[in-house]
Amino acid sequence: MIRLSGLHKSFGPLQVLKGVDVTLEEGKVLVIIGPSGSGKTTLLRCFNLLEVPDKGGISLGGISLSFDGKRLPQKDVLALRKKTGMVFQSYNLFPNMTALGNVMEGQVTVQKLSKEEARKRALKLLVKVGLADKADSYPHQLSGGQQQRVAIARAMATEPELLLFDEPTSALDPELVGEVLKVIRELASEGMTMVIVTHEMKFAADVADTLIMMDGGVITEQGTPDQVLNHSSNPRTLQFLNRFVDDDRT
Amino acid sequence: MDDRKIQIVIDSLLPLLKAGVAFTIPLTLVSFALGLLLAVATALVRLSSWKVPVLIARFYVWIIRGTPLLVQLFIIFYGLPSVGITLEPFTAAVIGFTLSVGAYGSEIVRAAILSIHKGQWEAAYSVGMTRIQALRRIILPQAARVSVPPLTNSFISLVKDTSLAATITYVEMFRTAQQIAAVTYEPLLVYSEAAVFYLVFCTVLTVLQDYLEKRLSRYSAG
Ligand SMILES: Nc1ncnc2c1ncn2[C@@H]1O[C@H](COP(=O)(O)OP(=O)(O)OP(=O)(O)O)[C@@H](O)[C@H]1O
Ligand SMILES: [Mg+2]
Repeated sequence: MIRLSGLHKSFGPLQVLKGVDVTLEEGKVLVIIGPSGSGKTTLLRCFNLLEVPDKGGISLGGISLSFDGKRLPQKDVLALRKKTGMVFQSYNLFPNMTALGNVMEGQVTVQKLSKEEARKRALKLLVKVGLADKADSYPHQLSGGQQQRVAIARAMATEPELLLFDEPTSALDPELVGEVLKVIRELASEGMTMVIVTHEMKFAADVADTLIMMDGGVITEQGTPDQVLNHSSNPRTLQFLNRFVDDDRT
Repeated sequence: MDDRKIQIVIDSLLPLLKAGVAFTIPLTLVSFALGLLLAVATALVRLSSWKVPVLIARFYVWIIRGTPLLVQLFIIFYGLPSVGITLEPFTAAVIGFTLSVGAYGSEIVRAAILSIHKGQWEAAYSVGMTRIQALRRIILPQAARVSVPPLTNSFISLVKDTSLAATITYVEMFRTAQQIAAVTYEPLLVYSEAAVFYLVFCTVLTVLQDYLEKRLSRYSAG
């Protein structure tokens, strides 16, 4: 069980998270939706401590941390990060390494696997995301969709217990969105535990076990996709969802 | 040009080349290598959150950039003996030039590190790297590429600056040219000849820069 409890986070005077509680069972997919600036990215980045909460607690993969505004010991931060992988909106592949190198990097540098072992595992992951033939390409030689799939392989390479996605398709041309969502759907069906921030409502409805609606730094709604998307009575949620009604539901 | 002048040019070729290869180039290479290490170390300290070392690093860069290199060399070679530190000309020159490359280079390296998008740090952290691992594996290799042109500039400046070592009795290429000029009474010829040698050395470096840039940019478009 992954649990975030009572998370608070401010940037200077701006309170971005105002007491957020999340629980997620292993093998489940949690999708976070909500208007821009509501704190979705910030919440997601708390899972792997790219943002350290000011208050609250996290328990994940046998690690329990609580926050009180003091600096965390580096070893706790690293321990938690080893349990998680992250896929960024802008891919953030390492441009100085090939696709294969990107996927091997964490295994070699962090997990201290041998090069041969890492290469074998990396190739398997590239096959899985459909990019076996691009192993030796550098990121700039790949399309956005291909880069993002390499990024997914890289995030999985260190065998995390939780994968985090921050709007993984928002930077993509519309015709490339499908190939990335397909990979994520496959991971979901294989029982990968994931937290996904997305604006793709149709995808969210399909893939989520639990859907969370965030607004103004708090969770305003939480439930199955059907409950949140079709049976909400919260006016803010309805207003937010209204914007997607006319969307071509991909 | 009469035969005598041609003879002088030919006679000074070998001594100048020898001085260049045996003294100017080693002084340049040693100073640049040490200076580069100092530059990276200083840049990393300045980007750290250790208060006192940051102040020391800034103080060092401030002093070196704010005073003439020639004055620094004189202080090291002629000044330090009065506090009991007497240095060989070569050692004094290496210290002076290393400090100089370290100070100017640290700003280049610092800017190069800062130019790397913060998403690269975050991606490195997200796979579980420490700050040191992220620097070594992800950030510095990318920063190295950005710094090649400005660092080559420093390198080329250094080749020419080593002529200042003549003033602290180090017999490098320029000092050799002075000696030849003094006995032949042909300063225009001999100094021009020395200038051509400097030009050749610097041109080789420019070619090397092109090569390095190409190698390091394998991975980027354009
Ligand atoms: N490092 C930071 N420093 C200062 N303010 C920040 C920082 N990161 C986020 N914020 C602010 O916190 C608020 C929430 O940001 P966050 O990125 O979590 O929103 P979001 O829900 O992901 O929005 P979007 O849908 O636009 O991505 C915003 O007002 C943002 O400007
Ligand atoms: Mg966001």
